[in-house]
Amino acid sequence: MSEAVLTAQQLRKDYLSGDRRIEVLRGVDLAVTAGESVSIRGESGSGKSTLLNLLAGLDAPDGGSLAWAGAAARAERRAAFLGMVFQAFYLIPEIDALANVLMAARMVRSPGVAERARAKELMARVGLAERATHLPGQLSGGERQRVAVARALMNSPKLLLADEPTGNLDEHTGDAVIDLLLSLCRETGTALVLVTHNAAYAQKTGRQLFLREGLLH
Amino acid sequence: MPWYLYLALKQLFPSGRRFPFFTAISVTGVALGVAVLIVVTSVMSGFEWGIRQMMVDTEGEVQVQARLPMDATGEILQRIRTTPGVAAATPFVKGFVMAMADNRPTFPTFRGIDLASVESVANLKRYMRAGSLDDLDDDSVVLSSILARSLGAYPGDQIEIYSPLLIQKLKSDEVFLPRRMRVVGLFEVGHQQLDSSTIYGTLRTGQEIFGLGRAVHGVDVRIKPDANEEAVAAQLNNVLPPGVRAMTWMETWDDFLWALHLEKRINFFLLLIIVLVAAFSVMSSLLIAVVRKTREIGLLSALGARTRDVALCFCAQAFIVGLAGTVLGLVFGFAVLAVRNEIVHGIARLLHREETLRELYQFSDLPSHPLASDIVLTIVFSIVFSTLAGLIPAWRAARLKPVEALRHE
Ligand SMILES: Nc1ncnc2c1ncn2[C@@H]1O[C@H](COP(=O)(O)OP(=O)(O)O)[C@@H](O)[C@H]1O
Ligand SMILES: [Mg+2]
Repeated sequence: MSEAVLTAQQLRKDYLSGDRRIEVLRGVDLAVTAGESVSIRGESGSGKSTLLNLLAGLDAPDGGSLAWAGAAARAERRAAFLGMVFQAFYLIPEIDALANVLMAARMVRSPGVAERARAKELMARVGLAERATHLPGQLSGGERQRVAVARALMNSPKLLLADEPTGNLDEHTGDAVIDLLLSLCRETGTALVLVTHNAAYAQKTGRQLFLREGLLH
Repeated sequence: MPWYLYLALKQLFPSGRRFPFFTAISVTGVALGVAVLIVVTSVMSGFEWGIRQMMVDTEGEVQVQARLPMDATGEILQRIRTTPGVAAATPFVKGFVMAMADNRPTFPTFRGIDLASVESVANLKRYMRAGSLDDLDDDSVVLSSILARSLGAYPGDQIEIYSPLLIQKLKSDEVFLPRRMRVVGLFEVGHQQLDSSTIYGTLRTGQEIFGLGRAVHGVDVRIKPDANEEAVAAQLNNVLPPGVRAMTWMETWDDFLWALHLEKRINFFLLLIIVLVAAFSVMSSLLIAVVRKTREIGLLSALGARTRDVALCFCAQAFIVGLAGTVLGLVFGFAVLAVRNEIVHGIARLLHREETLRELYQFSDLPSHPLASDIVLTIVFSIVFSTLAGLIPAWRAARLKPVEALRHE
């Protein structure tokens, strides 16, 4: 058995809405091994984003434990350990596409020649070599999401978390982004957790899970 | 460069052709405040400098004065002149008189100067506006310009000078006639108060008016160029007899200088309000930025940014705006100072008020004397205020929960 990249045990998350307590996650167990791809499907509002944010350490669970590569998940490790892709692309509008990719590297250290070369290479790999100096506002939705994918992979993370990355894209563009995401993860041996509505996309991953009533099935 | 500094710069000055509008407004606000402070403090210091210059020019750097009139003038003068650091010394008498022309009375200060030695201490000729100091003798006087105007007496005219001794003589039933003097020149130092109340005459005339015999009221001292006025004053106090004291011009004019300084400080702090308002505008535009960029702040967390660095990103923006505004303000302020006279004359010409300007404010040119201390104070205040203005936006940004920031619509 290969090494564990992500180990979540009995993750729980509640939200207070008014004086009512909503149990969104009721004890989620998830183990992801190196290079593995996993899809999570579930109805809108079932807690997929909540779960992904917990896995990313962006939010604290109300119970349970989380480990990244066998060690406790801590915010300082996030930049080097994992990459994220969202439904909204969240590119920084003031800087060009290449600089957005490099932004991930900046969180670890001031980028040098090696980092710049890698960012360019990634831009080429996502098919945007020609658009490196374009600002996000000058790119189409699909192009923006591909920049976001390149950014997520910039620091050679062990894990990539994608939260409905095709939610804002048309079908054709969405297909392309998913194929890119899967092939890049396969090439680089990055584990992928993909949240999606689309059954066809889910079929392309190694393991398909469902989030229902606060539990993964 | 740490990412927060990089991003701070990029958010203020985005790549591409977009004009950084918010940044420009914030920077301009700070720059205006700084420029106004630089211009006003420099001009006020210019006036002060002019007055200092005039005081030293007309009275020397050090004044020796006694509570009672000094009798042994010769010996005291000798001691003063041989003190190290002293370049020259000239005795004077000084007191109030009543001056009259055409039955118009005034109560100016009469200064009796020693024609033989006054030139070695005071550069009076520089301030002569009409007539000549060379024509001054025991029967003539030089009037300061505003005094001349209020007396209606000009070179060639006669005035009468009444001694304060008149009153004493009256008590003993003596009649003491006023002295008739000829006006031989007009004098103007460019200071309202002094120009409306001074008469220059010879030392002998003064001694007669005040009934001093051979005694004098004091001695003006010019120091050597490389000497220090305080050191010379201290040296003089060592050799002078008791009851006779040497003071620097700064001590002599202490009250006056204090008032001048106070006026400048008050102006400084009032004008500092402009910088304060500018700092508020920096704060409000950064607060707007925090709201506008909430999702990006969430993204930064997702990329692994630490809360502290997110806060620093906004602090840095405020600091950069403060710095840029200060530099721009300095450039702008000094540019305005460089063309200040063109500006003043232009406005005066536009309003057809050039004469008024000269008569009311007694300058044809606006003085400027920027002091390092004022400039440093301006720089420190404007940068500190702007940076403090970044704290609240920074705190708001740092307080955002990553998950909620990403959900922000
Ligand atoms: N900050 C919050 N406060 C209250 N309720 C929340 C908050 N965030 C999410 N929820 C609720 O949690 C549930 C799960 O949300 P989410 O994880 O976004 O679902 P999904 O991504 O599967 O559509 C939803 O019912 C949502 O309303
Ligand atoms: Mg969601």
